[in-house]
Amino acid sequence: MPPIVAIALLFVGALGLYLLMPGARLSIRVVGGAVVLAAIAGLLAFSRMWIPDLGYLIPFATLAFVGLVGGIAMITVKQPVYSALFFVLVVICVTGLLVLSDAQFLAMGLLAIYAGAILVTYVFVIMLAQQGGTAAYDHTARTPLAGVIAGFLLLGALTSAILSGPVPDSAIPELPVEARGTVQNMGIELLTTYVVGIQLSGILLLSAMVGAIAIARRKAASNSDGLILEASD
Amino acid sequence: MLIAYLIVGAVLFALGLIGFVTRRNLIIMFLCTEMMFQGIIVNLVAFGRFPLVGAPDLHGQVFALFLLVVAASEAALGLALVVLLYRNSGTLDANFWKQLRDH
Repeated sequence: MPPIVAIALLFVGALGLYLLMPGARLSIRVVGGAVVLAAIAGLLAFSRMWIPDLGYLIPFATLAFVGLVGGIAMITVKQPVYSALFFVLVVICVTGLLVLSDAQFLAMGLLAIYAGAILVTYVFVIMLAQQGGTAAYDHTARTPLAGVIAGFLLLGALTSAILSGPVPDSAIPELPVEARGTVQNMGIELLTTYVVGIQLSGILLLSAMVGAIAIARRKAASNSDGLILEASD
Repeated sequence: MLIAYLIVGAVLFALGLIGFVTRRNLIIMFLCTEMMFQGIIVNLVAFGRFPLVGAPDLHGQVFALFLLVVAASEAALGLALVVLLYRNSGTLDANFWKQLRDH
């Protein structure tokens, strides 16, 4: 695909995304949504060039299309809870893409950590903070034109760099047995080559947990709860 | 192969960036950073599976796993800060905090 075609498609997509931003009238947003869908479909239609195998192309294009549509819906829908649910859709599609690239353990981890743990926390915070339905600040976008232009410039630069770089072999490379992303292989890799990284990850997670508790409890110091010790600022 | 994955990852990253800049709800802004992480994870795994030179290996997946650890830490700390800001101001509007001082 020549980079100029990709840039043109991305420009159409950016235009549709700008029309789709919250704050515009419903009829304009419907038009913007249709334009964005067409741009994504056009972009993915070119993946036939790099994936000649039809049995691989169909699941890839389906997952990528649903995932990108979920991403668009996530940043344009007004209700925060729907945003979080569309992000779950994005995570599920990314998980499918990881399975397609033989990263089964990572796909399972992503699904459990993101769709399971992180998203539940987000939905919990949304329900805690917004019990009265959508607020006024969910109905308008902040600097939609500048944001869409910034994203378009970044994506245009990235895409033209990717497309003008070296062209890899379009055949799927043979996967050695020890490079499959199974639990066994990942476990061996993590506990031999990357054992220090695993230890540091544990320290990082522990400190993040302690820090989150310390931050979230800061204002609760004035309560007469005997369990809370000195939480001075 | 590789190029298709890279473009999908790049689009996910750019969508996250656009959402972060344009949304006003602090929670949605943090969700958009998570979507940028998704794009990066797609890229890393694709680089490991479809390398330009050499045979496929697991290093990209391990890198993506460490990225998950950082994303989980960031989500915990970010949400704690959002809850603190909400309790101080009663709003999740990012515009409320744009002057970086108390009202």
